[in-house]
Amino acid sequence: MSNHKNHPYHLVDISPWPLLGAFSAMLTMLGMIKWFHLYNNNLLMIGLLITSLIMYQWWRDIVREGTYQGLHTLVVTKGLRWGMILFITSEVLFFMSFFWGFFHSSLAPTIELGMLWPPKGIQAFNPLEIPLLNTLILLTSGLTVTWAHHSLMENNFSQGLQGLIFTVTLGIYFTILQGYEYIESPFAISDSIYGSSFFMATGFHGLHVIIGTTFLLICLIRHYLNHFSSTHHFGFEAAAWYWHFVDVVWLFLYISIYWWGS
Amino acid sequence: MASLCRRIVTSTARNHVLSTSYRMASKVTMGDPLEHATGLEKRELLAKVAGNDNPFDIKVIKRGPGSKAQPNEIPSAFDARLVGCVCEEESTSINWMWLHKGEPKRCECGHWFNLVHKAPV
Repeated sequence: MSNHKNHPYHLVDISPWPLLGAFSAMLTMLGMIKWFHLYNNNLLMIGLLITSLIMYQWWRDIVREGTYQGLHTLVVTKGLRWGMILFITSEVLFFMSFFWGFFHSSLAPTIELGMLWPPKGIQAFNPLEIPLLNTLILLTSGLTVTWAHHSLMENNFSQGLQGLIFTVTLGIYFTILQGYEYIESPFAISDSIYGSSFFMATGFHGLHVIIGTTFLLICLIRHYLNHFSSTHHFGFEAAAWYWHFVDVVWLFLYISIYWWGS
Repeated sequence: MASLCRRIVTSTARNHVLSTSYRMASKVTMGDPLEHATGLEKRELLAKVAGNDNPFDIKVIKRGPGSKAQPNEIPSAFDARLVGCVCEEESTSINWMWLHKGEPKRCECGHWFNLVHKAPV
Protein backbone atom coordinates (compact mmCIF):
# COMPACT_ATOMS: atom_id res chain seq x y z
CA MET A 1 0.00 0.00 0.00
CA SER A 2 1.12 3.50 -0.70
CA ASN A 3 1.00 6.46 1.65
CA HIS A 4 -0.77 8.66 -0.89
CA LYS A 5 -4.43 9.28 -0.45
CA ASN A 6 -7.19 9.02 -2.97
CA HIS A 7 -10.26 10.00 -0.99
CA PRO A 8 -12.04 13.32 -0.32
CA TYR A 9 -11.92 13.10 3.49
CA HIS A 10 -9.76 15.40 5.58
CA LEU A 11 -7.58 13.41 7.98
CA VAL A 12 -6.25 16.23 10.12
CA ASP A 13 -2.61 16.62 11.10
CA ILE A 14 -1.61 16.45 14.74
CA SER A 15 -2.22 19.75 16.47
CA PRO A 16 -1.41 21.15 19.94
CA TRP A 17 -4.61 23.23 20.14
CA PRO A 18 -7.14 20.67 21.48
CA LEU A 19 -4.99 19.84 24.52
CA LEU A 20 -3.74 23.40 25.09
CA GLY A 21 -7.31 24.66 24.61
CA ALA A 22 -8.54 22.25 27.27
CA PHE A 23 -5.86 23.43 29.70
CA SER A 24 -6.61 27.10 29.02
CA ALA A 25 -10.35 26.48 29.51
CA MET A 26 -9.52 24.86 32.85
CA LEU A 27 -7.35 27.85 33.77
CA THR A 28 -10.22 30.20 32.87
CA MET A 29 -12.57 28.20 35.09
CA LEU A 30 -10.10 28.27 38.01
CA GLY A 31 -9.68 32.00 37.38
CA MET A 32 -13.44 32.48 37.63
CA ILE A 33 -13.55 30.57 40.93
CA LYS A 34 -10.71 32.74 42.26
CA TRP A 35 -12.56 35.84 41.08
CA PHE A 36 -15.83 34.79 42.76
CA HIS A 37 -14.15 33.85 46.06
CA LEU A 38 -11.33 36.40 46.42
CA TYR A 39 -12.53 39.36 44.30
CA ASN A 40 -9.31 39.09 42.30
CA ASN A 41 -9.65 38.53 38.55
CA ASN A 42 -5.98 38.28 37.55
CA LEU A 43 -6.06 34.50 36.92
CA LEU A 44 -9.30 34.86 34.93
CA MET A 45 -7.71 37.51 32.72
CA ILE A 46 -4.67 35.28 32.07
CA GLY A 47 -7.01 32.37 31.29
CA LEU A 48 -9.11 34.43 28.88
CA LEU A 49 -5.98 35.80 27.18
CA ILE A 50 -4.50 32.33 26.66
CA THR A 51 -7.88 30.94 25.53
CA SER A 52 -8.28 33.68 22.92
CA LEU A 53 -4.70 33.19 21.68
CA ILE A 54 -5.37 29.45 21.25
CA MET A 55 -8.72 30.10 19.53
CA TYR A 56 -6.95 32.49 17.16
CA GLN A 57 -4.26 29.96 16.27
CA TRP A 58 -6.63 26.99 15.97
CA TRP A 59 -8.95 28.81 13.57
CA ARG A 60 -5.95 30.24 11.70
CA ASP A 61 -4.86 26.64 11.09
CA ILE A 62 -8.35 25.73 9.81
CA VAL A 63 -8.29 28.72 7.44
CA ARG A 64 -4.90 27.56 6.17
CA GLU A 65 -6.19 24.00 5.63
CA GLY A 66 -9.35 25.14 3.86
CA THR A 67 -8.31 28.20 1.89
CA TYR A 68 -4.60 27.72 1.22
CA GLN A 69 -4.23 23.91 1.17
CA GLY A 70 -7.53 23.12 -0.55
CA LEU A 71 -8.37 20.33 1.91
CA HIS A 72 -12.03 21.32 2.26
CA THR A 73 -13.57 19.19 -0.49
CA LEU A 74 -17.32 18.91 -1.03
CA VAL A 75 -17.72 16.08 1.47
CA VAL A 76 -15.64 17.95 4.06
CA THR A 77 -17.79 21.09 3.80
CA LYS A 78 -20.83 18.83 4.17
CA GLY A 79 -19.38 17.70 7.49
CA LEU A 80 -18.74 21.31 8.51
CA ARG A 81 -22.35 22.18 7.65
CA TRP A 82 -23.67 19.34 9.84
CA GLY A 83 -21.34 20.42 12.63
CA MET A 84 -22.69 23.97 12.54
CA ILE A 85 -26.33 22.78 12.36
CA LEU A 86 -25.86 20.52 15.39
CA PHE A 87 -24.01 23.27 17.28
CA ILE A 88 -26.78 25.81 16.69
CA THR A 89 -29.39 23.20 17.66
CA SER A 90 -27.59 22.72 20.97
CA GLU A 91 -27.54 26.51 21.41
CA VAL A 92 -31.31 26.64 20.85
CA LEU A 93 -31.75 24.14 23.69
CA PHE A 94 -29.37 26.18 25.86
CA PHE A 95 -31.58 29.26 25.50
CA MET A 96 -34.71 27.15 25.85
CA SER A 97 -33.68 26.40 29.45
CA PHE A 98 -33.57 30.13 30.31
CA PHE A 99 -37.00 30.66 28.79
CA TRP A 100 -38.27 27.65 30.75
CA GLY A 101 -36.96 29.22 33.96
CA PHE A 102 -38.46 32.58 33.05
CA PHE A 103 -41.93 31.22 32.28
CA HIS A 104 -41.84 28.89 35.28
CA SER A 105 -41.33 31.92 37.54
CA SER A 106 -43.47 34.48 35.72
CA LEU A 107 -46.62 32.56 34.74
CA ALA A 108 -47.57 31.89 38.38
CA PRO A 109 -45.57 34.37 40.49
CA THR A 110 -45.02 33.18 44.07
CA ILE A 111 -46.27 34.88 47.22
CA GLU A 112 -42.73 36.20 47.86
CA LEU A 113 -42.96 38.22 44.64
CA GLY A 114 -46.31 39.71 45.65
CA MET A 115 -47.97 37.31 43.17
CA LEU A 116 -47.13 39.88 40.53
CA TRP A 117 -44.96 39.97 37.40
CA PRO A 118 -42.84 42.04 37.27
CA PRO A 119 -42.48 41.38 41.02
CA LYS A 120 -43.45 44.08 43.52
CA GLY A 121 -40.76 46.75 43.63
CA ILE A 122 -39.23 45.89 40.23
CA GLN A 123 -39.38 48.66 37.68
CA ALA A 124 -39.06 46.94 34.30
CA PHE A 125 -37.76 48.57 31.11
CA ASN A 126 -40.17 50.26 28.75
CA PRO A 127 -40.19 47.85 25.79
CA LEU A 128 -40.93 50.68 23.36
CA GLU A 129 -37.66 52.51 24.05
CA ILE A 130 -34.16 51.03 23.62
CA PRO A 131 -35.39 47.40 23.33
CA LEU A 132 -37.54 48.30 20.31
CA LEU A 133 -34.61 50.14 18.71
CA ASN A 134 -32.47 47.06 19.33
CA THR A 135 -35.11 44.88 17.64
CA LEU A 136 -34.95 47.16 14.63
CA ILE A 137 -31.14 47.08 14.61
CA LEU A 138 -31.00 43.28 14.67
CA LEU A 139 -33.69 42.90 12.00
CA THR A 140 -31.81 45.36 9.79
CA SER A 141 -28.56 43.48 10.37
CA GLY A 142 -30.34 40.29 9.24
CA LEU A 143 -31.15 42.15 6.05
CA THR A 144 -27.60 43.42 5.49
CA VAL A 145 -26.06 39.98 6.11
CA THR A 146 -28.39 38.55 3.44
CA TRP A 147 -27.36 41.39 1.12
CA ALA A 148 -23.70 40.45 1.73
CA HIS A 149 -24.45 36.77 1.06
CA HIS A 150 -26.22 37.43 -2.23
CA SER A 151 -23.38 39.74 -3.29
CA LEU A 152 -20.89 36.97 -2.54
CA MET A 153 -22.90 34.44 -4.56
CA GLU A 154 -23.14 36.90 -7.44
CA ASN A 155 -19.38 37.48 -7.44
CA ASN A 156 -19.80 41.09 -6.31
CA PHE A 157 -16.80 41.80 -4.07
CA SER A 158 -17.64 45.44 -3.34
CA GLN A 159 -21.20 44.93 -2.17
CA GLY A 160 -20.17 41.88 -0.17
CA LEU A 161 -17.73 44.13 1.68
CA GLN A 162 -20.35 46.86 2.14
CA GLY A 163 -22.97 44.44 3.43
CA LEU A 164 -20.53 42.94 5.93
CA ILE A 165 -19.38 46.37 7.15
CA PHE A 166 -23.01 47.40 7.78
CA THR A 167 -23.75 44.10 9.57
CA VAL A 168 -20.72 44.33 11.87
CA THR A 169 -21.46 48.01 12.59
CA LEU A 170 -25.07 47.21 13.52
CA GLY A 171 -23.84 44.37 15.75
CA ILE A 172 -21.49 46.75 17.60
CA TYR A 173 -24.26 49.37 17.87
CA PHE A 174 -26.58 46.77 19.43
CA THR A 175 -23.91 45.83 21.98
CA ILE A 176 -23.31 49.49 22.90
CA LEU A 177 -27.04 50.09 23.42
CA GLN A 178 -27.38 46.94 25.55
CA GLY A 179 -24.37 48.09 27.61
CA TYR A 180 -25.99 51.52 28.09
CA GLU A 181 -29.26 49.88 29.15
CA TYR A 182 -27.42 47.64 31.65
CA ILE A 183 -25.70 50.68 33.19
CA GLU A 184 -29.00 52.57 33.45
CA SER A 185 -30.92 49.57 34.80
CA PRO A 186 -32.89 50.24 38.02
CA PHE A 187 -32.60 46.55 39.05
CA ALA A 188 -29.63 44.19 39.30
CA ILE A 189 -29.07 40.45 38.82
CA SER A 190 -29.55 40.00 42.58
CA ASP A 191 -33.00 41.64 42.57
CA SER A 192 -35.33 38.64 42.85
CA ILE A 193 -35.97 35.99 40.21
CA TYR A 194 -36.87 38.83 37.84
CA GLY A 195 -33.32 40.24 37.86
CA SER A 196 -31.78 36.76 37.78
CA SER A 197 -33.78 35.49 34.82
CA PHE A 198 -33.60 38.84 33.00
CA PHE A 199 -29.82 39.23 33.20
CA MET A 200 -29.13 35.51 32.68
CA ALA A 201 -31.15 35.43 29.44
CA THR A 202 -30.26 38.85 28.02
CA GLY A 203 -26.65 38.55 29.25
CA PHE A 204 -26.09 35.24 27.46
CA HIS A 205 -27.79 36.70 24.40
CA GLY A 206 -25.46 39.71 24.57
CA LEU A 207 -22.47 37.36 24.81
CA HIS A 208 -23.74 35.58 21.69
CA VAL A 209 -24.11 38.91 19.88
CA ILE A 210 -20.48 39.69 20.71
CA ILE A 211 -19.38 36.23 19.47
CA GLY A 212 -21.51 36.60 16.31
CA THR A 213 -20.12 40.08 15.62
CA THR A 214 -16.57 38.75 16.03
CA PHE A 215 -17.38 35.83 13.69
CA LEU A 216 -18.74 38.29 11.09
CA LEU A 217 -15.76 40.60 11.58
CA ILE A 218 -13.42 37.65 10.86
CA CYS A 219 -15.49 37.00 7.70
CA LEU A 220 -15.15 40.68 6.77
CA ILE A 221 -11.36 40.49 7.11
CA ARG A 222 -11.24 37.16 5.23
CA HIS A 223 -13.42 38.58 2.46
CA TYR A 224 -11.14 41.62 2.24
CA LEU A 225 -8.19 39.21 1.89
CA ASN A 226 -10.01 37.35 -0.93
CA HIS A 227 -10.47 34.11 0.99
CA PHE A 228 -13.98 33.57 -0.37
CA SER A 229 -15.17 32.55 -3.82
CA SER A 230 -18.71 32.75 -5.14
CA THR A 231 -19.27 29.02 -4.58
CA HIS A 232 -17.07 28.31 -1.55
CA HIS A 233 -17.55 30.62 1.45
CA PHE A 234 -18.83 28.33 4.19
CA GLY A 235 -17.12 30.37 6.93
CA PHE A 236 -19.37 33.25 5.96
CA GLU A 237 -22.46 31.06 5.73
CA ALA A 238 -21.83 29.63 9.20
CA ALA A 239 -21.48 33.18 10.56
CA ALA A 240 -24.74 34.18 8.84
CA TRP A 241 -26.58 31.14 10.25
CA TYR A 242 -25.27 31.98 13.70
CA TRP A 243 -26.28 35.62 13.30
CA HIS A 244 -29.82 34.68 12.28
CA PHE A 245 -30.01 32.39 15.31
CA VAL A 246 -28.94 35.26 17.60
CA ASP A 247 -31.52 37.47 15.87
CA VAL A 248 -34.34 34.94 16.46
CA VAL A 249 -33.36 34.51 20.12
CA TRP A 250 -33.62 38.29 20.51
CA LEU A 251 -37.13 38.30 19.01
CA PHE A 252 -38.20 35.73 21.62
CA LEU A 253 -36.48 37.73 24.38
CA TYR A 254 -38.15 40.92 23.22
CA ILE A 255 -41.62 39.44 22.92
CA SER A 256 -41.62 37.40 26.14
CA ILE A 257 -39.26 39.10 28.60
CA TYR A 258 -39.26 42.77 27.54
CA TRP A 259 -42.83 43.09 26.24
CA TRP A 260 -45.09 40.43 27.79
CA GLY A 261 -42.95 40.33 30.96
CA SER A 262 -43.23 44.07 31.61
CA MET B 1 14.95 57.89 10.39
CA ALA B 2 11.82 59.45 11.83
CA SER B 3 10.94 61.05 8.51
CA LEU B 4 11.53 57.75 6.70
CA CYS B 5 9.21 55.96 9.13
CA ARG B 6 6.61 58.66 8.68
CA ARG B 7 6.86 58.36 4.89
CA ILE B 8 6.44 54.59 5.02
CA VAL B 9 3.44 54.85 7.33
CA THR B 10 1.69 57.61 5.35
CA SER B 11 2.26 56.01 1.95
CA THR B 12 1.07 52.60 3.18
CA ALA B 13 -1.97 54.16 4.78
CA ARG B 14 -2.72 56.18 1.65
CA ASN B 15 -2.41 53.16 -0.64
CA HIS B 16 -4.52 51.10 1.69
CA VAL B 17 -7.26 53.70 2.01
CA LEU B 18 -7.27 54.29 -1.75
CA SER B 19 -7.44 50.59 -2.67
CA THR B 20 -10.06 49.91 0.01
CA SER B 21 -12.27 52.75 -1.11
CA TYR B 22 -11.88 51.62 -4.71
CA ARG B 23 -12.79 48.06 -3.85
CA MET B 24 -15.68 49.32 -1.71
CA ALA B 25 -17.14 51.73 -4.19
CA SER B 26 -16.76 50.20 -7.64
CA LYS B 27 -18.04 46.83 -8.70
CA VAL B 28 -14.99 44.67 -8.10
CA THR B 29 -15.60 40.97 -8.77
CA MET B 30 -14.09 37.99 -7.01
CA GLY B 31 -12.93 36.06 -10.06
CA ASP B 32 -13.60 32.50 -11.13
CA PRO B 33 -14.35 30.10 -8.24
CA LEU B 34 -12.44 27.36 -10.05
CA GLU B 35 -9.35 29.55 -10.24
CA HIS B 36 -9.84 30.45 -6.58
CA ALA B 37 -9.72 26.81 -5.42
CA THR B 38 -6.50 24.89 -4.86
CA GLY B 39 -5.21 21.42 -4.05
CA LEU B 40 -7.60 18.48 -3.76
CA GLU B 41 -10.62 20.82 -3.72
CA LYS B 42 -9.61 22.14 -7.14
CA ARG B 43 -8.94 18.69 -8.61
CA GLU B 44 -12.36 17.56 -7.40
CA LEU B 45 -13.98 20.62 -9.01
CA LEU B 46 -12.08 20.07 -12.27
CA ALA B 47 -13.35 16.46 -12.37
CA LYS B 48 -16.88 17.76 -11.84
CA VAL B 49 -16.47 20.25 -14.70
CA ALA B 50 -15.29 17.34 -16.87
CA GLY B 51 -18.56 15.54 -16.05
CA ASN B 52 -17.26 13.19 -13.34
CA ASP B 53 -19.16 13.62 -10.07
CA ASN B 54 -17.57 10.50 -8.55
CA PRO B 55 -13.84 11.18 -8.95
CA PHE B 56 -12.82 9.17 -5.86
CA ASP B 57 -14.88 6.10 -6.94
CA ILE B 58 -16.62 5.85 -3.60
CA LYS B 59 -20.14 5.34 -4.88
CA VAL B 60 -21.65 1.86 -5.09
CA ILE B 61 -20.76 0.06 -8.33
CA LYS B 62 -23.55 -1.92 -9.99
CA ARG B 63 -22.27 -5.39 -10.85
CA GLY B 64 -21.98 -6.42 -14.49
CA PRO B 65 -21.99 -10.03 -15.72
CA GLY B 66 -19.15 -10.74 -13.27
CA SER B 67 -18.01 -13.92 -15.01
CA LYS B 68 -14.40 -15.12 -15.02
CA ALA B 69 -13.99 -13.77 -18.55
CA GLN B 70 -15.77 -10.50 -17.80
CA PRO B 71 -15.05 -9.73 -14.13
CA ASN B 72 -16.43 -6.65 -12.34
CA GLU B 73 -13.72 -4.02 -12.69
CA ILE B 74 -12.83 -2.29 -9.44
CA PRO B 75 -10.85 0.95 -9.89
CA SER B 76 -8.03 1.66 -7.47
CA ALA B 77 -4.99 3.91 -7.25
CA PHE B 78 -3.28 1.38 -5.01
CA ASP B 79 -2.12 -2.26 -5.03
CA ALA B 80 -5.23 -3.51 -3.23
CA ARG B 81 -8.75 -2.40 -2.39
CA LEU B 82 -11.30 -3.59 0.12
CA VAL B 83 -14.37 -4.74 -1.81
CA GLY B 84 -17.81 -5.45 -0.38
CA CYS B 85 -20.04 -7.72 -2.45
CA VAL B 86 -23.79 -7.55 -1.90
CA CYS B 87 -24.27 -11.10 -3.12
CA GLU B 88 -28.03 -11.02 -3.55
CA GLU B 89 -30.30 -8.04 -3.91
CA GLU B 90 -32.08 -8.79 -0.63
CA SER B 91 -28.88 -9.56 1.31
CA THR B 92 -28.78 -8.12 4.80
CA SER B 93 -25.00 -8.39 5.02
CA ILE B 94 -22.04 -7.45 2.86
CA ASN B 95 -19.22 -9.86 2.08
CA TRP B 96 -15.95 -7.99 2.46
CA MET B 97 -12.70 -9.12 0.82
CA TRP B 98 -9.31 -7.73 -0.12
CA LEU B 99 -8.80 -7.52 -3.85
CA HIS B 100 -5.15 -7.44 -4.93
CA LYS B 101 -3.74 -6.13 -8.16
CA GLY B 102 -3.23 -8.86 -10.80
CA GLU B 103 -5.17 -11.42 -8.77
CA PRO B 104 -8.80 -11.57 -9.95
CA LYS B 105 -10.99 -12.91 -7.16
CA ARG B 106 -14.22 -14.81 -7.00
CA CYS B 107 -16.75 -14.04 -4.28
CA GLU B 108 -18.50 -16.91 -2.48
CA CYS B 109 -21.57 -16.12 -4.55
CA GLY B 110 -19.72 -16.65 -7.81
CA HIS B 111 -19.15 -13.09 -9.00
CA TRP B 112 -15.63 -12.24 -10.18
CA PHE B 113 -13.73 -9.03 -9.39
CA ASN B 114 -10.58 -7.58 -10.87
CA LEU B 115 -8.54 -4.59 -9.73
CA VAL B 116 -7.82 -2.07 -12.49
CA HIS B 117 -5.39 0.78 -11.97
CA LYS B 118 -6.80 4.29 -12.01
CA ALA B 119 -4.60 7.31 -11.34
CA PRO B 120 -5.45 9.13 -8.08
CA VAL B 121 -7.41 12.40 -8.25
